[in-house]
Amino acid sequence: MEILSVQSLTKSFGAFVAVDNISFSVAEGEIVGLLGPNGAGKTTTIFMLLDLISPTKGEIRVFDKSYKEASEYIHQHLNYSSTYVELPPRLTVWENLLVMGFMYQVDNKEARIRELAEKFGVTPFINWQYQKLSAGQKTRVSLCKAFLNEPKLLLLDEPTASLDPDIAQFVRKEILASQKRGMTVLITSHNMTEVEEMCDRVLFINHGKIIAEDTPDGLANRVRKSRVHFMMKDGQKRTLSFAKKAGFSAIAENRFVTIDIDEQDIAYLLASLADLGVSYSEITIDKPTLEEFFIEASAGRSL
Amino acid sequence: MNRSRIAAIVLKNWFSFRRDFFRIFDIFWWPTFMLFVWGLLSIYLTKTSVNSPNFVTILLGGVILWNTFDHATRDVSRTFVEEVWDKNLANFFSTPLTLTEYLVGILAIAIVKIIVGALFMLMLARLFYAFDPMALSWFLIVGFVSLVLTGWLISIVIQAIILRYGHTVEVFIWAVAILLQPFSCVFYPLETLPGWAQRIALVLPTTYIFENMRLMIFSGSVRVDQIVLSYALNLFYGVCAVVFFYRTFRVAKDKGLLVKYV
Repeated sequence: MEILSVQSLTKSFGAFVAVDNISFSVAEGEIVGLLGPNGAGKTTTIFMLLDLISPTKGEIRVFDKSYKEASEYIHQHLNYSSTYVELPPRLTVWENLLVMGFMYQVDNKEARIRELAEKFGVTPFINWQYQKLSAGQKTRVSLCKAFLNEPKLLLLDEPTASLDPDIAQFVRKEILASQKRGMTVLITSHNMTEVEEMCDRVLFINHGKIIAEDTPDGLANRVRKSRVHFMMKDGQKRTLSFAKKAGFSAIAENRFVTIDIDEQDIAYLLASLADLGVSYSEITIDKPTLEEFFIEASAGRSL
Repeated sequence: MNRSRIAAIVLKNWFSFRRDFFRIFDIFWWPTFMLFVWGLLSIYLTKTSVNSPNFVTILLGGVILWNTFDHATRDVSRTFVEEVWDKNLANFFSTPLTLTEYLVGILAIAIVKIIVGALFMLMLARLFYAFDPMALSWFLIVGFVSLVLTGWLISIVIQAIILRYGHTVEVFIWAVAILLQPFSCVFYPLETLPGWAQRIALVLPTTYIFENMRLMIFSGSVRVDQIVLSYALNLFYGVCAVVFFYRTFRVAKDKGLLVKYV
């Protein structure tokens, strides 16, 4: 079942086109990454999905309903967290979460807030004014707010920015656990490792257009093949000859041989070299990363 | 309309308000200050005038009712602009909260503050100048409600303007009441104004309230047709203000202004 469906979505501010005719959908229980360089149109897209900005053209359907026909229903089952959106500064964390609890009509508000505060490590500063928190503490509060109404669809804009690595890891685990409970997540992040770890699918957006859509591995593999480095002990010539016959690109430098190869062929390569009696003292496999794709795609190189 | 979401708006503003010394101060300081100045003036005029009417009642009645109108105008607009300062519009309007619930929420808070301010003023006036609210009889309530409605509809227009043009137009919050005061005939009769100003005064709901306040003090009766006209003008302007606010909200969403301050 499609939780989110976007058709020909366009947003112009005067002559500037921030989002240019994008279409995509997100299925129930999926975690989809929305990646792209700064100014690509990710945040404008998220704000349109939240109905905070009206699209110039196109259609957004959430839970198979449009905002025109079911705005309250959609917002009740949706939530978001952004590193860049603040809560009222003079209110304490507890007060802010309580206000949001009323806004979403959360049952047993106080118990729910305490549970989330404990989970995200907010309890020690729950009675502090929001303006006195560090960036990382604010991010944790924002995540508490995002999970308050147990949303069916969660929009996360840089959810782990400013967080310590251990907390960031916990947040990722929590998002994955929520996915198991059926939650659907659309996430923007500049942490490529995070996206690779969590996302089932990635939409890469640049200059307002979706220029690529695939699994994280699929996008990474568009940049280059995996690279296998050998420090040879014996059989360097046999290795190069085998690579040539098999159609793999290989180069040799001193005692080192590097072979570019599709990831699924690595096992075949290693088995064949063993059959040929080739011996090596060290092997490293350098897989392409989403980060490389990000850099190449952001630079506008076609992939 | 959902009561829980309206409660959320009230709660947010209560949490904000109780930590803001200047806003608490504002409820009590200005009424005290205005009563002090105008009360002394009215006593002086009463003492120096032969066969004078009751200056104390006329001036203090004007001050109390004007202060009510002034607060009604400022409080609601200020509550809204605080959401802009707090960068909170995106948080609120990404929840199921509707625009109507939001307006009802901030008006609910405003009415409590206005009543507290008005009661405080009446108490001070009674205590220090022997002001008798009963001299205005039932008109005190009728006048109070009409002025609050006028204040609110003006504040709704101000909110729309702030939403559309941002912080630079916040000066309207403080300026509108002052701009309207000369035309509202708070302390003098309508005939005192020059012809062109009278034409402006006649389209203001406030003018009829202050005119009839004096009439009530002098003769114990009011022009019911003028009171009805005051309410009719409030209704007409109120509908226009709400339509203007909703349309501006739509424009704000089109232009991305709700998230401009996040």
